[in-house]
Amino acid sequence: MTDKVDAVDTADVAGMNDAPGGTAEPRRPTRPYWRAGLLRGGIELRHLLRNPKEMSGQLTNVVVALLIAAYVSGEVPGTDTPMAHLVLAGFAAYLLFQIGLISLPQMLVTEREEGALLRLRATPGGIPAYLIAKCLLVVVMAVGSLGLLVAATALLVDGPLPGGPGDWLTLLWVTTLGLLAVVPLGAALGAVLPNPREALALIMLPTMGLLFTSGAVFPITSLPVLVQQAAAVFPLKWMAQGLRSALLPDSARAAEAAGSWELPMVALVLTAWAVIGFLLAIPLLRRAARRESGSRLTARHRKAVRSGAVLA
Amino acid sequence: MRAPGPTPTARPVIRARNVTMAYGDLVVLRGIDLDVHRGEVFALLGPNGAGKTTTVEILEGFRQRSAGEVRVLGTDPERGGDAWRGRIGLVLQSWRDHRRWRVAELLTHFATYYPDPRDPAELLALVGLTDQAGRQVDRLSGGQRRRLDVALGIVGRPELLFLDEPTTGFDPEARREFHVLVERLAREEGVTVLLTTHDLVEAERLADRIAMLVGGRIRVCGTPSDLARRAAAQTEVRWTAGDGTAHRERTKDPSRLVWQLHRDAEGPIADLEVRRPTLEDTYLHMVHRADDGTDQAAPAVRGGHR
Repeated sequence: MTDKVDAVDTADVAGMNDAPGGTAEPRRPTRPYWRAGLLRGGIELRHLLRNPKEMSGQLTNVVVALLIAAYVSGEVPGTDTPMAHLVLAGFAAYLLFQIGLISLPQMLVTEREEGALLRLRATPGGIPAYLIAKCLLVVVMAVGSLGLLVAATALLVDGPLPGGPGDWLTLLWVTTLGLLAVVPLGAALGAVLPNPREALALIMLPTMGLLFTSGAVFPITSLPVLVQQAAAVFPLKWMAQGLRSALLPDSARAAEAAGSWELPMVALVLTAWAVIGFLLAIPLLRRAARRESGSRLTARHRKAVRSGAVLA
Repeated sequence: MRAPGPTPTARPVIRARNVTMAYGDLVVLRGIDLDVHRGEVFALLGPNGAGKTTTVEILEGFRQRSAGEVRVLGTDPERGGDAWRGRIGLVLQSWRDHRRWRVAELLTHFATYYPDPRDPAELLALVGLTDQAGRQVDRLSGGQRRRLDVALGIVGRPELLFLDEPTTGFDPEARREFHVLVERLAREEGVTVLLTTHDLVEAERLADRIAMLVGGRIRVCGTPSDLARRAAAQTEVRWTAGDGTAHRERTKDPSRLVWQLHRDAEGPIADLEVRRPTLEDTYLHMVHRADDGTDQAAPAVRGGHR
């Protein structure tokens, strides 16, 4: 620096001489992220439960499921399983799918836009804690909505339940693998989508398309073969099929395209999506976190204000 | 303000040498040299697009410089790990995060990330948010929100605090309270503060030293009075002469002029007024000089680095 500047340097603050700015060694040990992450997940969960808008969304799902069960009549063709059970199993799969691919990316995009991600990036251990909290939140949301749905329909409208320990086990692994297939994918989406308003519009349409082509809400065999094949690439079809195998009696297999539940295939496709999801999510999340900075935050805020989406 | 004096023993908290930043053909920073010392409040001033934000983000470790050398708390910000992050606090102007959280809840949560955090309740008292402790964050006023951001920025007892245009949108009272808070942090707790601002009065009030960044270069750097002295704008002396005519004269040596006037008048001078150049005069002068393209002539600003 210039001599002039050095001449007006301020005096050292008493007591600070022993810790000059030049120490490169980490003076303070970093705490494990787990405690902060779990604490954070708990707090976010509490906020979710206290938020009437979020809660009514979840309750609407259950009401819709009850209405479906009440209105859909008849049996699955070629079986004595009520059609309503097939639809409810598909609806349960869609709930999981939607938590991973709609709720999660929306949360991520919103928190990115508001600056939560940047704040955590500027906090030691903040990003790992954030991811731990989000995982906790998603798992509790998924298990909560699924449990609520199955319990409410079973109690109120004679909905489907797993038939034995084997079926419960299937329910558990399909749910777990299904979440592993959609959550990393949702995280990757949340890392790249522009802002909460556009994000919803971009995700909603393909998701609804998959809902109707994956055989989640009516027997897949009634769809054209080409549509069936296209939908079979995506995880929703396999999640629905896996949940049907857990929730419907074995006799309902007759309505499946292959005439069986194809559980190995369910496991294979969902695992493949989980791997793809992780491979996409890790670099994309890292990039999203790295790119966060004050100026980007300001730019986005200005844009949002201009478009009238938020108040200044 | 503390007595100035060189501090040969302590290494600077921030040290930047010949930092440049270019996006393709667009050159944003053209060789920045900076030294910020422990316990100092340092203001970075400049018009929009001068490279202020880029400079600060390089120092914060959020942006990769094109060239040059940077040490912040002894570490290259591009390689700063968690331990380094823990020694730095950040207050940005656009934060609107954690809206659903309650004030005390948020502060208590962020305290858990640090090894030796401040007590959240004491911190709320320090920033004057004790009454709002149970309030949801999105119900705070703009000034309260910013004070919460400051509290979050210092909860981990940082040695270095970045304040990015902290008082934008504040009413005068909130601004004054904020200034008192920053002064307390710097004077009583020895926190080094790097402040970016448009507000010249704020810079003059808070900063021990000010650097003016224009066109990707630091034009001048020094104490507020130093800057004013160095500016070409000269002190203006106004008075009313014996015949009732108003006079004004610009001089580098107002004391001599006033003394002369008194000797000539052999008594008091009517309407005598001495106007020192304000920081604003200095600032405008710098900006205009850059606009004129006469910016090559700024030897007092740069140079001197090896």
